[in-house]
Amino acid sequence: MKNSKMCLALFSGSIDKLTAAGIIISGAVANDMTIDVYVLLQGARAMLKDIARDKEKLSMAENANLRDEFLKSCKELNVKEWHEFFKEAKEIGDVKFHICGLAGKIWGGYKMEDFVEFADDIVGISEYISAAQEADVHLFI
Amino acid sequence: MDASELKNLSASRTVDARGTSCPGPLLEAKKAIGTIMPGEIMEVLSSDEGTKVDIPKWCQKQGHEYLGTVEENGYFRIFLKKG
Repeated sequence: MKNSKMCLALFSGSIDKLTAAGIIISGAVANDMTIDVYVLLQGARAMLKDIARDKEKLSMAENANLRDEFLKSCKELNVKEWHEFFKEAKEIGDVKFHICGLAGKIWGGYKMEDFVEFADDIVGISEYISAAQEADVHLFI
Repeated sequence: MDASELKNLSASRTVDARGTSCPGPLLEAKKAIGTIMPGEIMEVLSSDEGTKVDIPKWCQKQGHEYLGTVEENGYFRIFLKKG
């Protein structure tokens, strides 16, 4: 069976949505999907090396007042941190993280070495549009 | 298969994913399935309620045969045969 494709536009750089993205990517990888993640505006900020692993630099997308409860529950439930989901998914299957070049520059990320080690490349918007056109599943988070 | 038949199965591989939450058990199953041969049986231990639904669905999509689930005290034993 041909692997089906998922295209995910990751706009958000908030800790709750990044966690959701990590879980979705993990599920897709378990089902042998080929996954291309296009990391857009706020997402590109979260993928900066100096920010990704520092929870204090990432806010909640919704219900900011529930942040502590969210983080505490995730810890108790043994839920991985978002970047661990991303990294593990890459180890298991075919997942690529493409950083939007403009988004990177907005937050001071100009080169690959400015981003987390699991980022694959820096791309322009037409790459994303092509991937979205070809994908079986297309999500925007 | 009923519970007594399942309990008598001898699994080639047991994956203990108890204590992890979704999608932990699924990812552990995914990683382990590559280590057994088609026709061999794998057992996944999970304390996550969602796994009971997740693994059968995953088996169906991946071409493995879901054999059944035994509920133990605080966790599930989920059996499947690799396709």
